[in-house]
Amino acid sequence: MAAGVRKNTPAILNCDGLALGYPAHELAHGLQFHVQPGDVLAVVGHNGSGKTTFVKTVLGMRPPLAGTLSWPRGRPREIGYLAQLSEFDRRFPIKTRDLAAMGAWRGFGFRGRVDEATRARITMALEATGVAEVADQPIYTLSGGQLQRALFSRVIVQDAPLILLDEPFAAVDQRTEAQLLDVIDQWSAEGRGVILVVHDLSAVLDRCSHALLLGGGRGVYGAVDEVLTVQNLVAQGYMSESQAAWAPRIYRGTELEAGHG
Amino acid sequence: MAEFWTPEWMEFAFMRRALVATTALSASIAPVGAFLVLRRLSLAGEAMAHAITPGIVIAFVVAGLSVGSLLIGGLIAGIGVAALTSLLARVTILRSDASLASLYLIALAVGITILSAAGSAVPLKSFLFGSILGIDNDSMILIGAVATITLCAFVVLLRPLIVSTLDPTFFESQSKNPQLIEQMFMLLVVLNLLAAFKTLGTLMAVGLMILPATSARYWSATITGQLLIGFAFCLGSCWAGLLISFYAPETPSGPCIVLVAGVIFVISLLFAPLGLRAGLKSVAAKTRARSSENVQQSKEIQHEIP
Repeated sequence: MAAGVRKNTPAILNCDGLALGYPAHELAHGLQFHVQPGDVLAVVGHNGSGKTTFVKTVLGMRPPLAGTLSWPRGRPREIGYLAQLSEFDRRFPIKTRDLAAMGAWRGFGFRGRVDEATRARITMALEATGVAEVADQPIYTLSGGQLQRALFSRVIVQDAPLILLDEPFAAVDQRTEAQLLDVIDQWSAEGRGVILVVHDLSAVLDRCSHALLLGGGRGVYGAVDEVLTVQNLVAQGYMSESQAAWAPRIYRGTELEAGHG
Repeated sequence: MAEFWTPEWMEFAFMRRALVATTALSASIAPVGAFLVLRRLSLAGEAMAHAITPGIVIAFVVAGLSVGSLLIGGLIAGIGVAALTSLLARVTILRSDASLASLYLIALAVGITILSAAGSAVPLKSFLFGSILGIDNDSMILIGAVATITLCAFVVLLRPLIVSTLDPTFFESQSKNPQLIEQMFMLLVVLNLLAAFKTLGTLMAVGLMILPATSARYWSATITGQLLIGFAFCLGSCWAGLLISFYAPETPSGPCIVLVAGVIFVISLLFAPLGLRAGLKSVAAKTRARSSENVQQSKEIQHEIP
């Protein structure tokens, strides 16, 4: 992981005093973080903490209530994006290869043809995620894991400097999760920034360099080990104290101490 | 000799006009119907067909059977109901399906009441279910214009429509004005419903959109295949339906066309590669997989019990 090692290079995304939510209902305020090349930022929080609104705000689908999102390297032409599987129509009549090709959609516009270079990029992406053998199958024949890998291919084809993944491991088995984590490592090594929105604390967080813990109307940002502590998780409403008391280890050997908080 | 081979219906100008008109209509309505089904808007299309009724009726009462006024009246009613539905869904507790259902029922009732009260010269039956006699030159121009606009629009809209239908959130993240595609598509739906109104009537117009599209889904696993097969089914339904209506003059053309489309649907369901048999096989395979998983689990549990 190339995480946090490029301190002298300009960040891909800077976030300064960001407030998220809706005019009548603010979800979080004062968010302060940045994403540098190679960073893998985990965004963690309980239901309703503003994770989805965070995603929409970074993508430009919702305006921030306050604060700024700035792009020191210039706003990327596009942000690699993987939405939750629940928002996806699995019965749509399209082949796996065409699904991956959708990542280059903006490149070939309304009518243009897919050129040789793009075609090669699509094949490479399908191979990288291990779904080349089902490239010509309709997507409704794919298993949940295969479909998620095909969607990762689409993100690879997007070739974006910043990649935003919303709950990418929610419906996949351990083997698929491991393969997809390798793809994320590869993105990090290539100097791309990755934002990973996750609900559950899991081994996935081992691959992240930074974390943004949302909850209680605010966010805590920093290195994963510093942010995802029992104290912070309880303080941000991610878990109750009684739940914390039953968890012998929450993250990376952080020992639970009775009466913390 | 040539006269011997000319079928009876070919001798009538209205039949020749109807066949030409429905050919253009099929080319236009098939892609719209395909995306209406794929975007899970089949019932919204049905509701929209009813919602345009008061606009058409008021235009008819005010200006007679003029194609221009029917088009304007239908467009105003269609866009009005769509805008009101969106407003109600945004500012009240009702979801958009409930808002649309409420409004289209009101619109349909208003339309039929006005038509009856005005003592129309046009029989209610032909208004609701269409008539092959209703296709005059003006109607043909309307159908031709709508087909041209629809096919030109699809050249530009096809890719965005595919992306936005498959993965709306991804499309929203990629597009500066994602609502524009939805709005343009709904405008095409209303235009095609209006173009189909004379042949199929307000109640049956959406049938030609939905049934060939749903039948085509059973035959092809690609979007191109579905568009082409949908067009073939549309055309077949129109031609066969018109001939049935010709030889059974008491039967309005709309139900005849939709009935043929319905027969095609049942045949597709029973015999198409992605129809009922494929579905049953898939369900059986899943059931087998689940039961063998359960057997495996119970064996493991038995093994663990000392």
